[in-house]
Amino acid sequence: MSENQGELLKALRALAANCPREAPARLEARLRTEFRTQKRRRALATWLPAFGIATAAGIALLVWIHGEKPSAVPAAAAFRAPVANQSVAPSINEEADAGFYPLPEAEALPAAESAMVVRVQLPVSSLELMGVPVGAVPAGDDSPDSNVQADLLLGQDGLARGIRLVE
Amino acid sequence: MFHKLSIIAVAGLLTASLFGQGPGPRFGRGDFSLVRPEFGISNKVVQGAPYSAQAVTQFTQTLANGDHIQRTTTGSIARDSQGRTRTERSFGAIGALSAGRDAGRTVMIFDPVASKSYVLDPVSRTVRSTPIPAARLNPRVHQRPDQPSTKTEELGTQVVQGVNAEGKRVTRVIPAGKEGNEKEIDIVTETWYSPDLQVVVMSKTSDPRYGDSVYQLTGIARSEPDPALFAVPSDYKVREGRPNFRGGPPVAQ
Repeated sequence: MSENQGELLKALRALAANCPREAPARLEARLRTEFRTQKRRRALATWLPAFGIATAAGIALLVWIHGEKPSAVPAAAAFRAPVANQSVAPSINEEADAGFYPLPEAEALPAAESAMVVRVQLPVSSLELMGVPVGAVPAGDDSPDSNVQADLLLGQDGLARGIRLVE
Repeated sequence: MFHKLSIIAVAGLLTASLFGQGPGPRFGRGDFSLVRPEFGISNKVVQGAPYSAQAVTQFTQTLANGDHIQRTTTGSIARDSQGRTRTERSFGAIGALSAGRDAGRTVMIFDPVASKSYVLDPVSRTVRSTPIPAARLNPRVHQRPDQPSTKTEELGTQVVQGVNAEGKRVTRVIPAGKEGNEKEIDIVTETWYSPDLQVVVMSKTSDPRYGDSVYQLTGIARSEPDPALFAVPSDYKVREGRPNFRGGPPVAQ
């Protein structure tokens, strides 16, 4: 270490000893302000979801308390959301592609709340009496004594709503 | 393709033939025989409203000579608090069709708790178990494009079969000449619906072309039915899926 370096070191130590050890008051004030702001943001972020959940729970409780009718929910969803109330079931027309064709006499019947599908056997002669040409039934079954099978869609009243032939 | 054409032909010709004839018997004795019940379906699941009742349907046709043909079918219905339903029905007749032989009684259990539909055959002691399709609870019935004009009247609330029911009368009008008819045809449907049970407790239909039908639930009990009604008896042989079913809701074998 040279003589100049030794003097520089002494001078730096003397400067450090004489300098104030705390941040200026203005800087400390700014830091405190920023700290408080961030603390409020963290608190908000912590309590906002909890508040939301509590609000939703309160609304759900109110709905549950005021619900008077039994629940009616789509079968598929019924047991995923057992506390649901008065949800509307899917319309019969929203359903699948089962392809039943309406019987004219079913036009006036009430909508089916529940239904059964039954397979029946009909003589071709009955189909002919109903206006069905023999050629419309599967090949080989066109004798008047032969039988063909059809599915009937029956409502809760046991009356047929639709029909389809079975190959 | 052939199948679709066949169905279209059946529907079209059936419609044409039935519209083309006057009131009277369209089917002779032994018009059909039951091959088997396929499956049961429900439009909705109603929870928290258990009941059990007898279901009676009377179908009456008036013949051209003034005589009447009347057929009555009976069944029983039960539903528990979880929305499971049991329907027991005989198939001696389906509307104007009469069965060639006594088909006995069939039991269907619709169990959304287990997502299963069961068809029980008490004679063979077998049960066919079918999964309930998640999004396909009901077969679609194609609608005729030329629906007649309708008029709806609210009939208020009455006690029907011991329960409060809301009435509605729907009148469909087929104008004169529309189907070769000389006079206007009025088709009237009266429905009494229980908001508490969420079922139709009575309905009456009067259609001059085909006949009249009256459906009603009788002996309605609003207590919880016996849970055993919704369970498959242990001595029944269970078969999974529907046999040879085509064109309907998906089948999980």
